[in-house]
Formats: sequence, structure tokens, C-alpha cells
Amino acid sequence: MDVQAVKTQSLARYKEERDWFALLAEAAKQMPTSEGELQVKLLEILLDSKQTVVDCVENDKPFIGGYFCNAPELFHAMDLPWFMLMETPFLAASAPYLLNDIEGAEEMGMGTDLCTAIRLPIYYIENGLMPVPTALLGLLYPCDGAPMLHQVIEHNKVWKDVPIYACDPPYTSDERAVQYFAEELSRMVEFLEKHTGKTLDVDRLKQVCEESNRTYSLWQDYNELRRSVPSPHGWAIGGAQAFAISQCFVAGDPRCSAWFEQLCKCAEERVAAGKGASDQEGWKEKIRLFWFDIMPYGWIFEYMPWLESEWGATIVMDMFGNFPYTLIDTSSRETMLHDLAKRNLLDAPMIRQARGTAENFSNDIRRIVTDYKIDCVIWPGHMGHKDGSATIGIMRDTCRELGVPFLHIGLDLFDKRYTSIDEVKDKTSDFFRGMGLA
Amino acid sequence: METRIDSEAFDRFREVTSSIGNSEIEAWKQAGGKVVGYFCSTVPEELFTAAGLYPFRMRGTGSTSTELSDGCFSNINCSYPRHTMNQALLGEYDFLDGLVCINSCDHVRRIYDNWTVRLDTPFVKVMSLPRKIGPPQIDWYYEEINLLRSDIQEHFGVEITDEDLWKAIKLHNEVRALQKKVYEYRKLDAPPISGAEALPVMVAGTAMPKERYKILLQQFLGDLEKLEGSSDYRVRLMIVGGELDDPEFMQVIEEQGGLVVTDSTCFGTRLMWRPIDESVADPVRALASYYIYDRPSCPRMYGDQSRRIDYTKELAKEFRVDGIIGERLIFCDQWLVEHYMTNADLKEDGIPFLQLDREYILSGKGQLRTRVQAFIETIEGMRS
Ligand code: SF4
Ligand code: SF4
Repeated sequence: MDVQAVKTQSLARYKEERDWFALLAEAAKQMPTSEGELQVKLLEILLDSKQTVVDCVENDKPFIGGYFCNAPELFHAMDLPWFMLMETPFLAASAPYLLNDIEGAEEMGMGTDLCTAIRLPIYYIENGLMPVPTALLGLLYPCDGAPMLHQVIEHNKVWKDVPIYACDPPYTSDERAVQYFAEELSRMVEFLEKHTGKTLDVDRLKQVCEESNRTYSLWQDYNELRRSVPSPHGWAIGGAQAFAISQCFVAGDPRCSAWFEQLCKCAEERVAAGKGASDQEGWKEKIRLFWFDIMPYGWIFEYMPWLESEWGATIVMDMFGNFPYTLIDTSSRETMLHDLAKRNLLDAPMIRQARGTAENFSNDIRRIVTDYKIDCVIWPGHMGHKDGSATIGIMRDTCRELGVPFLHIGLDLFDKRYTSIDEVKDKTSDFFRGMGLA
Repeated sequence: METRIDSEAFDRFREVTSSIGNSEIEAWKQAGGKVVGYFCSTVPEELFTAAGLYPFRMRGTGSTSTELSDGCFSNINCSYPRHTMNQALLGEYDFLDGLVCINSCDHVRRIYDNWTVRLDTPFVKVMSLPRKIGPPQIDWYYEEINLLRSDIQEHFGVEITDEDLWKAIKLHNEVRALQKKVYEYRKLDAPPISGAEALPVMVAGTAMPKERYKILLQQFLGDLEKLEGSSDYRVRLMIVGGELDDPEFMQVIEEQGGLVVTDSTCFGTRLMWRPIDESVADPVRALASYYIYDRPSCPRMYGDQSRRIDYTKELAKEFRVDGIIGERLIFCDQWLVEHYMTNADLKEDGIPFLQLDREYILSGKGQLRTRVQAFIETIEGMRS
């Protein structure tokens, strides 16, 4: 397939995905609540970012491929539109074409033991279904799959001419590691300047980082509110969405802070009225749950509402809603790069837990169980999370120490055929009953 | 395993690799020596030799179950660390005075965390191996090696001078050169040594002190020279993959008529095909450059696939192989995707390729035989 054919085909697919979200936004508009309004705003921001990419492809404007843990404040300050290469499995997991794509990946030899979030982008790259950016920022952490995806990209005949830079993540977490990663980020900026024609202005970066700090302060306030019993919100708002808006779409943008302000307001009202997430849906919070991973995007609507209606189980906290973020010292370029390095190496979800040694798994469990009055921890055991699966003994021991039950399911967060939804529900029900949580 | 090789040295190699503990370790410990285990071929074992320690590369040889380690890992983890950890929990590694782990893959890196929680080996460290191969990464690894050097000095109460390091580097390079000589024999039309026989020779190099191994290897080469070769095979094969220390796997392949004449595996040529540069001023710099850039890499190192495929093709040509087998331990993401690219690249050159997924402890021999047979027939079909 030549470059032009890839451009046409991938654009068609990208538009299809955009339209899928437009449909979801329309559906969200039917929700009469303030939380519904927040969903609509988030989807509109998402649609806007998709439309910008479409415009870049159609009009040959520079745009990049990147990741939430490549310090998106930097691209924002450089006025560089970007999209995430792995976004389809996360964002459009409910899209009608996804299961066919997974089958396509399997036919290519990407079997069921490779993370679906990796095999899907490999399938898209190899089949000309991904927009080809001006330059690409790769990802070499937190799992073995990510660097392999980027090696396939370098190997692909159409993509091999796309300049690519990937920051090297150290395995350690001390100041030396942060400093090294800050230098990697600095080399990343040089790379972007060279290949996109955009420049990084320190004053602009300062402005973006200050806005980003404002967002993160609001997020922290919001997460304090989630400690309330009952929790003002569950899986449907404030967890994964808070992460997506702050790190994937509009990092360091006033729209992002405005969204969080409204989120806080909604939560405050609920807490003041003693209302939980349950009150709007007609169920009562009985179990406070820590879902220690990404949401099961491939079948989220089949499982999460069931947890609530069947068991009164509120996801009070999940891996992506967790807030450990470092605020950025904006006094100089160096301090900003240093703190962005720290945030993107040590704080960003999944990277935080899976990049280095296992202590963050147990530390996060300890902190969240205590702070959020958690009744039980579920480690879904996503088939891609091999390092996490090699940490289940440690997680189980930590939960035992804390006296909270721990469940390991074993599933694919993006593909509901891996473990059937009924089996996941049965395991969950047996666990709640067996542990006396029901 | 049947062998035509009549050599005392070879018998020693087979003895030390047939189980975890071995008589070399016993003798070393009786003389007051210390043993340090390490995972992965990217840990600079020269450092241990320079410190007067016995370097032992971690394996799960002889394991029959993962009953004990199942509490640490889950069923989507690679069987190599699971069996190795199980052996450790059974006490098979109680002889270790230290262990150096590394972030080589998502499975193996968790050995460090589980080991420190469940076992009480006095010195356990983890090294941070970069993912890239450029100058900043060499600098980073240079510091990592120096940090490990200080930790070893402090814990074991030894001094590791630059002179000690150069001595160790020279010794390990001599060993590499001797191992290459063994491989030279495998280039012949009628090699005196099979793949299943060559593997314990290589594994033994990671299971005994290098000085002792070097002497035995010299003896072994002398014995090999006298041995008549065999051309009783149908095709010449190369194995590409990761952690392969089990001669039985090779033997099953060879029983079907596919002689394994070379490899790119981490107990094979990638350990020794290139020497450490002895011309630079700083021995730690020499080690850092070697482990990050100079030695043939594995898929874990990002941005090096084109050099890896060139290396595979070069060896295939040099050893006149008819086909390549890509072996992979189930659940290994790195080798799964690497083999996918290798397959595509070899196809362009018309080199037949077969991917074999396996468990660390050999199982499913029947299926393995069938697949290898079919592969050999395909190669033969292409000839006619
Ligand atoms: S294994 Fe986890 S970290 Fe890696 S790509 Fe899959 S979802 Fe992401
Ligand atoms: S074979 Fe793969 S999963 Fe197993 S230890 Fe090696 S790199 Fe890790």
C-alpha cells in the first residue's frame, strides 16, 4: 500500500471513529443531569481534537502521534495537535468495528497473549488504518508491548520515513532517574522543533504549566470529595474522564480547568446533600470498591452498571482516577522539564504502577484503601498486564495486611470474548458473597 | 541424551548444566568462595569475576512444577521465571550469596520484587537497563555498572580495581573466542557437534567460574578436533529466540533431521559473537558500550531491529542454513512481535521461517515433532 492510499483509507477510518463519538455525544445530551452536561463537554472536547487531526491530514498541517505520558503540556505549548496511537482500544472500544479488528490482528499472528491495546494499533499500522503523522513520539514503557509496537512502526514500509523519538524510561525512581528523564524530554523537544517547524517558547510553557497546575489542584480537591461516604460519583464520571481530559485532550488548557470546576461543583452539591452516586439511579452504595486498573472499555456498559444495580458496589477509585500528581515549579525551563519528567515518569497512571519495581502497587493499595474507606480491591488481571500479574502475590499480601478482600479476575479489558461477561459477573458475585460483602 | 562426543570436559559441561546446584559450586563454597546469581545476558558478569565472585546465570532446570511460585505469578506469566522462582522457593538456590536482577522483561523483572519479599538472600539488587542504544543510554548504564560495583565492594568487602576489571574482561573475551571456535566446527558440511550438544557447552559457561570453564573449553576443543563429523541430516537450521537452555528441545528438532548449526539466542551467539572492546581507557565504559550497543541485541532493545535482522541474515549465510526456527516462550510479547517482523523480512529473502511457541519445561513433544517435520519437508520441497 502506498502513502496516498494509506492517507485516504486511514482518514476514512478516523472519520468513522469521530462520527461514532458524535453519536455518543448526541446520546449524552439526553441526560438531564449536571453530570450529563459534563459528559457532553468532554465528548465535545474529544470531537474537537479528532476534528483538528482530520483538518491537519486534509490540509497537510503538522500534527504528531504521542501519548499521555509524553508530557502533553509540551505539545500544547508548542501548539502541536496530537493524537494517541493507542486511543482506539481505550476510546472507541464500543465502536462497531472493533471486534472485527481484533480478529484481523489475530489473523496476522498477533495471538491472544499480546495485549489488545498493542495488537490493535499493530493491525492498524500494518493495514493502513492509522493517520500517518508528521512526527511520532513513541512509548517505551510501562510494558514490553509498547516498545514492540513502535518497532513495528519503524519496520513498516509507509511509516518508516516518519521521524520517531521515544523517551527512554529508567527503571529506578530516584532523583537521578527523574533528571535523566528530564534530559530525554529536552531531547524530545529538540526533535519536535526539528521535524515540525514549531518552537517551544518558555513563557508559553510557563502559562500552560500554570494552567495545568490549576487543573491538577482542582482534581485534587475533587478527589478529596470522593472520600465521602457515600461517594458522590462512581465509575460513570470523574475517574477515567478526569484523566482523559487532563492528560489526553487539553492538558494545560483553560477548558480543562473549567471542566474540573464544574465537576467539583457537582460533587460538592451531592456531598452537601448527603447524596451518593447511587441516588440518581435508584440504588444504594453498599460496597466501596477500588478497581485497580483501566476500565473494561470493551464491555464497560455491560458490567459497571450491573455492579451498581446488582450489588450496590461503587467504584470509589480506579487506577486512572487516582491522584498522585506533582505540581510543576514554573520558575524556569529546567524546573518545568524536571517536574514534567517527574509527573510523567512517577505519577501518570499505569506508568506509575507498572514501569518500575512493584512497591507502587502495594503503596497505592495501602493509600487508597485507607483514604477512601475501601471495602475490597479488584485487580481485573488484564491479559496484557504481565508485570501486574507477576505482582498478584504482593498485592494479595498487602490486602491481607489491610484486612480487605482482594479479587483477581483474569480478563481482557478490551475484548469481551476473552473471558465472557457472564463469567466475570459470576466471579464477582462469588467474591462478594464469599467475602461477606453482600 | 545419546552423544558421539567422547570428552571428559564435555561430560563436566553436561553435569553442571543438568541441574541447578553442581559440584563446582560445592567446591567453590567449601573453599570459602561466594556465588552471585544473575538474570539475563545484559548483566555484566565480568564485574562478578573481577570481584572474585562465582557468577551463576539463573535457570529453572529440573523444575517439575510451579506450585510454590504460583502464589507470586499468574497463569499469563512466562514459564521461565515461574519455574526458576519455584526452584528458589524449594531451596535449590540456597547456595546464593547474592542475586542481581534486571528489567529485561515484564515477567523476569518481577523476580526481584517477589524474591525480596519471599526469600532472604543477603544481597539482592536490580539493575536499570535502558530501552535504547544511544550515547545517553551508554552513559546511564555506565553509572549503573559503577553503582553495582560500589554495592558489591561494600557488601562483599572486596575492592574491584580497574586492573581487576580489565583482567576479567580479557578472560571473558578469551572465553568468547574459544566458544566461537566451537561454532566454527558447526560451519562444516559434516559438523562434529550437533545443536543439542553445543547448548550445554554454552550454558556451562554461565554455570561455572570462567577461569575453570576456559580450561575445560580448551580441552573440549582438543577433543572435538579429533572427532569425525556427521553429515547425517536433511537440512541445516538456525534457531532465533530468547531464553533457551534446554538441549532436549534441540534434540527433538534434530531427531527429525534438522541439524541446528547456529543460533541467535541468549545462551548462544549473542553471548559471544563480538568481544568487549579492550582498546578504550575505562573498563566500565567498555562494559557499558558492549552491553548497550556493541553486542547483538534482543528485541527488548528498541530501535535496533534492523541490526538484529542483519545479524540473523549474516549468520544464516555464514553457516549456510536452509531455514530458521523462531522459538518463543508463551506470553513473551517481545519475541512474538520480533518473530512477526523477522518472518516478513526473511520472506523477502526467500528464507523459510517457522515460529515455535513453547513452555520452558518441554511439553507437547508430539506436536513439536509434527511441526518441525512439516517445516523440513517444506524446505526440501523448495530445493527440488
Ligand atoms: S499491557 Fe497495559 S500498559 Fe501495555 S499496552 Fe496494554 S494496556 Fe497499555
Ligand atoms: S522469553 Fe520473553 S517473557 Fe520469557 S524471560 Fe525472556 S523475554 Fe521474558
